[in-house]
Amino acid sequence: MSTAPANPKIAGDEFRISYERQGDDLILQMGPQHPSTHGVLRLELVMDGELVKQITPHIGYLHRCFEKHAEAMTYPQVIPYTDRMDYLAAMNMELGYVLAVEKLMGLTELPERLEFIRVIMAELQRIASHLLAIGTFGLDVGAITPFLWCFRDREKILDLFEWASGARLLYNYLWIGGVMQDLPDGFGRRALEFMDYFEPNVQELNDLLSFNKIFIERTANIGVMSPEVAISYGVGGPNLRGSGVKWDLRKEEPYGIYDRFDFDVPVGTGEFGPIGSTWDRYIVRVREMLESIKILRQAFDQLPSGDPNGATPRRIRPAAGDAYMRTESPRGEIGFYLVSDGSDKPFRCKGRSPCFTAISAIDAIGRNSLVADAVATVGSLDIVLGEIDR
Amino acid sequence: MRQYFVNIWQGFTTPLTGMRLTWRRLFKPSVTLQYPEERWELPSNSRMQLFVNMDDCIGCAQCERACPVRCITIETIKAVPDEVEDTTTGHKKRLHVPVFDIDMAKCCYCNLCTYPCPTECIYMTPSFEDAAPDRFDLLYHFTQITPEQAVELEEKSRKFDEAEAAKKAAAEAEKEAAAAAAE
Repeated sequence: MSTAPANPKIAGDEFRISYERQGDDLILQMGPQHPSTHGVLRLELVMDGELVKQITPHIGYLHRCFEKHAEAMTYPQVIPYTDRMDYLAAMNMELGYVLAVEKLMGLTELPERLEFIRVIMAELQRIASHLLAIGTFGLDVGAITPFLWCFRDREKILDLFEWASGARLLYNYLWIGGVMQDLPDGFGRRALEFMDYFEPNVQELNDLLSFNKIFIERTANIGVMSPEVAISYGVGGPNLRGSGVKWDLRKEEPYGIYDRFDFDVPVGTGEFGPIGSTWDRYIVRVREMLESIKILRQAFDQLPSGDPNGATPRRIRPAAGDAYMRTESPRGEIGFYLVSDGSDKPFRCKGRSPCFTAISAIDAIGRNSLVADAVATVGSLDIVLGEIDR
Repeated sequence: MRQYFVNIWQGFTTPLTGMRLTWRRLFKPSVTLQYPEERWELPSNSRMQLFVNMDDCIGCAQCERACPVRCITIETIKAVPDEVEDTTTGHKKRLHVPVFDIDMAKCCYCNLCTYPCPTECIYMTPSFEDAAPDRFDLLYHFTQITPEQAVELEEKSRKFDEAEAAKKAAAEAEKEAAAAAAE
């Protein structure tokens, strides 16, 4: 005979907002409407004076049932939903999903031109996403000019995307085994013009922000993520590389035609402080933009002519089975796990979010810092809540 | 001690470098546009407002099925044979479309509906200044058939079907009678 506990704990009690002091500590709610949380994120900070003793992230404010929706959609209809997962790097999300479906279907023979278009779009999107990450990180620590300059350059990339796909942010451009429409005439010329214009701007950005003494002093000693912490939390992308771990899926597990390009993987070296500081994560993004330009130049050099939609399957109805595909998005390792029951709709579609792992490490790296430093630490992780909550 | 002075020196010079850049930026032309007065040119394939050319719509509802957010609503009435018209693309309009509604408040501008259309009558236009004060103003009705006409057409279609059925039954009965007579 079992007896009920005297004080039954209500389910979800631990997630309830507590406003009371706990002893001498104060609970401070940061968010959900806070400009530095990059979306709708609530951080519960246990404060001892100005010192943050514990950070608990609360997510779910942007939950849109993406995974459940996907079960009611045909495979191509899910692509607009993946756009909305990570709205700052929609091309990379599409690429991850599309590659997962192709793996599920066993579609391997694709036109050369299509593969190149995918690399071009993914790398342009990486630059656009990193520009926003850099700009908003600068804004978080109080630098407004770089934010405006980054947006100015990002607009030019969005113009290119708009020209190719018709949309500026949510493209639905990369399709399963094809693209929505071929690149317009002269796309390569205009993209190369942009790169010639943009490369000196990176140098300008370095002079203005990256190597500014005030900025370095502000960022180089806070939010230190050691490689052990990064790996144990499963953090990926620039956050992991900022901790000095040389891990890039484009190199380690090349998907598409990434193995044909020559590029480096920049890692944080701890130039101005311990390895894995917010400054390291920031500078990795700046350097990655230059590497992306390197890839883009090679891709435009070799871009073959032909029809990118030559091998597009007419009916998308994968055989029963499952597939997992992971790709390198600007925020880290995104994965899509798809289960098919043989119909034209996915039986299950699971997204693996890099931002989720990054925000889960916030307590480990943001503890015992000041509130202002916690803001900078969250900013340096470059999280997108749309992807965490899905 | 040396590092102390180096820090002070860098604290002066690096912000000055930044200031030099922003100062230079002052004399370059502005990149912003004063929007309502100035406009940038949108590419012709821009995906903004959806538009349906009802003259060409054959009511096949393929766009409705392709939509991931189900913002298109189509209802059809079978046309009687003497009403069947041709579209500009040479398709037969076998169905009247009394309801063709697109809820632009729901639309996710993904362009999936325009690709299956056999007559290419649904497409996205570069017009984007269609904000409305009320959400229901964003429900666009594209049909040219009024509700009264729709009732009339439905009646006509029903009568035609009945007449066809009666004709068929008569023919069947005749056949049976002939078969019975032959026996």
